[in-house]
Amino acid sequence: MDREAEFGRLYEAHRAAVHAYFTGRTGDPQLAADLMQDVFLRVWQHLEKLTGMPDGRHRAWIFTVARNLSVDAHRHQHTRAGAEQALAREPPPVLQPASTPVIAAERAAVVGQAIRHLPEPQRITLTMAAAGEMTSAELAAALGVPAGTVRYRLSLARRAVAEALDRYDDPAENT
Amino acid sequence: MMMNLDDDIAAWAATVRLPDTQAAAVFQQIVATPAPGPPAAPRLDPSWWRHFTADFTARMVSSTRPVRQAV
Repeated sequence: MDREAEFGRLYEAHRAAVHAYFTGRTGDPQLAADLMQDVFLRVWQHLEKLTGMPDGRHRAWIFTVARNLSVDAHRHQHTRAGAEQALAREPPPVLQPASTPVIAAERAAVVGQAIRHLPEPQRITLTMAAAGEMTSAELAAALGVPAGTVRYRLSLARRAVAEALDRYDDPAENT
Repeated sequence: MMMNLDDDIAAWAATVRLPDTQAAAVFQQIVATPAPGPPAAPRLDPSWWRHFTADFTARMVSSTRPVRQAV
């Protein structure tokens, strides 16, 4: 077995989802990259065990490791500190007239702020759906919750983001 | 400016997604880590044969020593 090629296949298939999970969990894409590296280091160390599994089990195995690792990280307060730093770094949206690319960037910032203020389950679910480009069924398998719960969380999260964008589009109407 | 909610969320997602260059660097760091080897098979202590032959020789010498007869 070509270990590196096999690992590369798993890495490419799951890295975006794992990174999105930790981004949703911590609010910090850089801390998420560190945690993602820890997860895939375990994949590398246990590759023989994973290659013996059917394809559908890989994601469940990887996300079990990710959830356990995340809990450990929370125990050491790293993720909380990371989220607070990320929140502090986030610039407030600028509300004067601007060009189209600037407006698009501002709207992305509004979306980011709205997502940061979501309850954690909704934040993780929406981040994984958007940044990890995962379907409801894939999210359900990764998070260990029913697909209906995933769709409900996504619906609530999207509504909150839409409301934040409405306030941005028409601040006078919403004050 | 009218934008679709999905477009706005996708635009934000692009700002938090891990860049390919960084993902490739993480990959290289991981595969540079030595892979765990197979578990060591149980085997005898390397000095076993030396101890065995020394013990065997000593017993052989002592057993072939002439026994002193009572006069």
